[in-house]
Amino acid sequence: MTTTQERRLEDTVLGSAAGRFYRHQNFGTGLLGGVGLGFLLWLLGEYTVNNNPNYGTDMVVTLTMLGWVIGFNLGVGTFNAVLHWILGHDQTKEDELYAAGVGQGKSRYWKYCTDHKVVGTQYLILVFVLFFIGGTLAMMIRTQLLTPNSSFLSPQTYNAIVSIHGMTMIIATIIMVSGPFANFIMPIMIGAKDMAFPRLNAMSIWVIVSAVPPLMATFFVGGVNAGWTTYAPLSVQDGPAMVCFAFTIITFVVSVTVAGINTLITVLTMRAPGMTFSRMPVFVWASVIGGALGLYAMPAFLLDMTMMVSDHATGTSFFVSAQGGSGWLWENVFWIMGHPEVYVILIPPVGALMEVFSTFSRKPMFAYKMIIGAMIGIAGLSIMVWAHHMFTTGWAPDLAGPFMLTTELISIPTGIIFLCAIGTMWRGSNWVRLPMYFGFLFIWNFIVGGVTGIYLSDVPADDYFHGNMFVTAHFHYTLLGGAMIAATAGLCYWFPKVTGRMLDEKTGRAAFWLIAIGFQVTYLAQFYEGFKGMPRRVANYDPIFAPENVVSSIGAYVLMAGWIVLLYALVSSWRSGSIAPANPWSAKSLEWQTLTPVPLENFLEDVTVVNDAYGYGERAELQVHAVFGSTSDAHHGEGH
Amino acid sequence: MSSNHNHGIHHATYQSIDEEVAPGLHKQLHRQHVRGTLYVWALLTVGGILAGLYLTPILMPHMNSPEGRAAIETVKVFTVAAAPVAALVCAVAIYSLINSRHRSHLDSPPVDGPPLRGNALASGSWLVVSTLLVVFLLFWGLTEWASQQVVHADALQVNVTGQQWLWTYSYPAQTVILPGGKTLTVPKAVDATTLDLPINVPVQFNVTSKDVTHGFWPTQLGIQGDANPGVNDVLRTTPDHLGKFQVRCSQICGLYHAYMYTQASVIPDSAFTAWIAQGDAGRVLTSAKITGGVR
Repeated sequence: MTTTQERRLEDTVLGSAAGRFYRHQNFGTGLLGGVGLGFLLWLLGEYTVNNNPNYGTDMVVTLTMLGWVIGFNLGVGTFNAVLHWILGHDQTKEDELYAAGVGQGKSRYWKYCTDHKVVGTQYLILVFVLFFIGGTLAMMIRTQLLTPNSSFLSPQTYNAIVSIHGMTMIIATIIMVSGPFANFIMPIMIGAKDMAFPRLNAMSIWVIVSAVPPLMATFFVGGVNAGWTTYAPLSVQDGPAMVCFAFTIITFVVSVTVAGINTLITVLTMRAPGMTFSRMPVFVWASVIGGALGLYAMPAFLLDMTMMVSDHATGTSFFVSAQGGSGWLWENVFWIMGHPEVYVILIPPVGALMEVFSTFSRKPMFAYKMIIGAMIGIAGLSIMVWAHHMFTTGWAPDLAGPFMLTTELISIPTGIIFLCAIGTMWRGSNWVRLPMYFGFLFIWNFIVGGVTGIYLSDVPADDYFHGNMFVTAHFHYTLLGGAMIAATAGLCYWFPKVTGRMLDEKTGRAAFWLIAIGFQVTYLAQFYEGFKGMPRRVANYDPIFAPENVVSSIGAYVLMAGWIVLLYALVSSWRSGSIAPANPWSAKSLEWQTLTPVPLENFLEDVTVVNDAYGYGERAELQVHAVFGSTSDAHHGEGH
Repeated sequence: MSSNHNHGIHHATYQSIDEEVAPGLHKQLHRQHVRGTLYVWALLTVGGILAGLYLTPILMPHMNSPEGRAAIETVKVFTVAAAPVAALVCAVAIYSLINSRHRSHLDSPPVDGPPLRGNALASGSWLVVSTLLVVFLLFWGLTEWASQQVVHADALQVNVTGQQWLWTYSYPAQTVILPGGKTLTVPKAVDATTLDLPINVPVQFNVTSKDVTHGFWPTQLGIQGDANPGVNDVLRTTPDHLGKFQVRCSQICGLYHAYMYTQASVIPDSAFTAWIAQGDAGRVLTSAKITGGVR
């Protein structure tokens, strides 16, 4: 498309029906709408239900949060298309192109925008914000734990920070790959013009944005006392902060569900001709499997949190044992969500990392079918392991054996991921660019996380380690050292495609070393604390644990410094890095075969896939992943 | 585009480069890679096994019951079992890093590697070995778990009650017939805020809570169970080493969770009887005899 044509299209789109209300909607009107409706419902609550002696405050907070979430999404324009449709005048072609962001420059990133690349970028920015908040909270935790009897934070503030650090990071890690990359990259990878449901896609980001303020609001209404797992009955005993917390989750689950369905349908229906299931890149499979697993897991979270709001605001007693409820009910439903959720976090980044390993080893994916099978196997097993979080709770002791079995079985498919990673590296050319640095770090971290995981799967050992710092160190090795490092490899890999700029690798390598070393120091020290017997989630501790806590805190500061240096590299390269070529890594998958920046609807010509994306070192005809346009000449299809 | 001029090189496949230059080099290179990786693997495996055997007892505290020592043994055995597999993954990664053929020209992609898309022998043996390992882990875990489920005919009953934020231990009036035929008598019920246990006497904890869920964790006994309101959680052990340690709350329970710990001791049964009979005066008299420190 020429520039003149583009400009003419922009003029048509911007000129038509200009000045209609919804074209002025953005993040700002969203905030106005949220605060406005939240305030209205708060007033309503104050004058109607606040006199209830038991549940008044919780009811008012429930109404306020409901007002915020609905008001924000009305304000930002999440429901525009649906409202138009209900009112009987559908959107015009120009309206739809406007909603896709045509001719709006950078301001479209602040709007409800149906272009999957804009949504992906919005997710990426949200993930940065969430990690920054979660990381800052982590630094406060480590500062408190520098000395045994520190009074840097009050016990109440400490508990609130521990809880919100946990949940912020869980939300951030769930969306860190499925948000930015399954939205921006995945549709291009399968040769699609957009996601299957672009409006739902735009909805998913703004719904999740509206979930963040309630989470932060918890700090101002007493704080969440019970950790991110918010075990009942402690969480029922908590104040209205728990209602805000539950609203975050309920809203978040809506977003994740919508996004998961969208990913599934996109891959099922939007693939380019020739993109058979067995030619799909591993990352596409990972996005689908992660999304599908989320569809299984997240509704349980919604259910648990809805019952929690109900216990708080209406006097039900799902989780109050004195009135027939059960804390074990909470724990079960929570972990029925909570263990699959670990793999909802882990599978998409691992898929991204496999792309990195193949591209930078200049070798085909090793045992492609086994890794797809392994990811499906992990997803399937992960729904049957939840009670290994409950070995010491006293619930169903006879199930210790079966849950030990399923938990240990999961190490077989997880092992296959390692096999495929090292098989892909084996005798490869090993182009050691920044994504590969993080790839190697992932391998080490995930070995440590995996091996410590098998100690915890063993009931007699878990009877010592449960609830202590060993568990904390273990899941940070898997989720931060494993998933988040893999996601970082993916970020460095796709950065040129997403931003159109090359990442400053010199600064990036400095960040890498700070992160790699800081991480080991932080969490190896925490393993030692766990071995010695220091419990988790304590604001103060026995002075016998002092030395390793100092070490862990220093490591954490170095780790955070590493992330900040990386953030600096990302932001400065995004603003003023050198312009990226379309395919800086000479990779074969489709996202690298189109222009940078990627045009609206992704490809200028029709795409036909002829081989998988991993033909490195193969015969010439097997090296071609796709051809473009009506011609079938392979060389024509290589670039633009 | 800039990538286009590279494609000429890419289309020359890996085999053709190696085998055209020197026939037989391909196989020789392969053998060399395998040998190099094996050296790294052997080194790392030995390191992992030694660390499992000798580091674990240093890292973990001295334990006062068979259950506690089972935790240490498990860490040891699992580390040793996992070491060869973990070492293999590390070895391939490290070797591929050392052997990186492309360190000097980072700006353009290197020549493609060999198109190995799988290896039935490697994948098959990987699957077999990892499955056997899992069977072993499971066998180990279930055997130990079963050995801990043995219920002694008679055991010292201790009722443990958690509440925000303290533990209460009550010893109901009882006469326990010990395995050797001796008896241990608690003449009248005693409540205490520290946990004292006679050595070599089977003990049954009945754990419950008055408010929220707490985690009863007598650290160096290697057992743990939640104190749930309205529920009686039964835990069993037989302390067999004298010593002092802490009971810590392992489940976040609100504001002062960090302060919910108490002193616990395993003491000679004579000292226990004296304490039960005389109250705290007896404790002062006997505490001097207790050996073994807190780690």
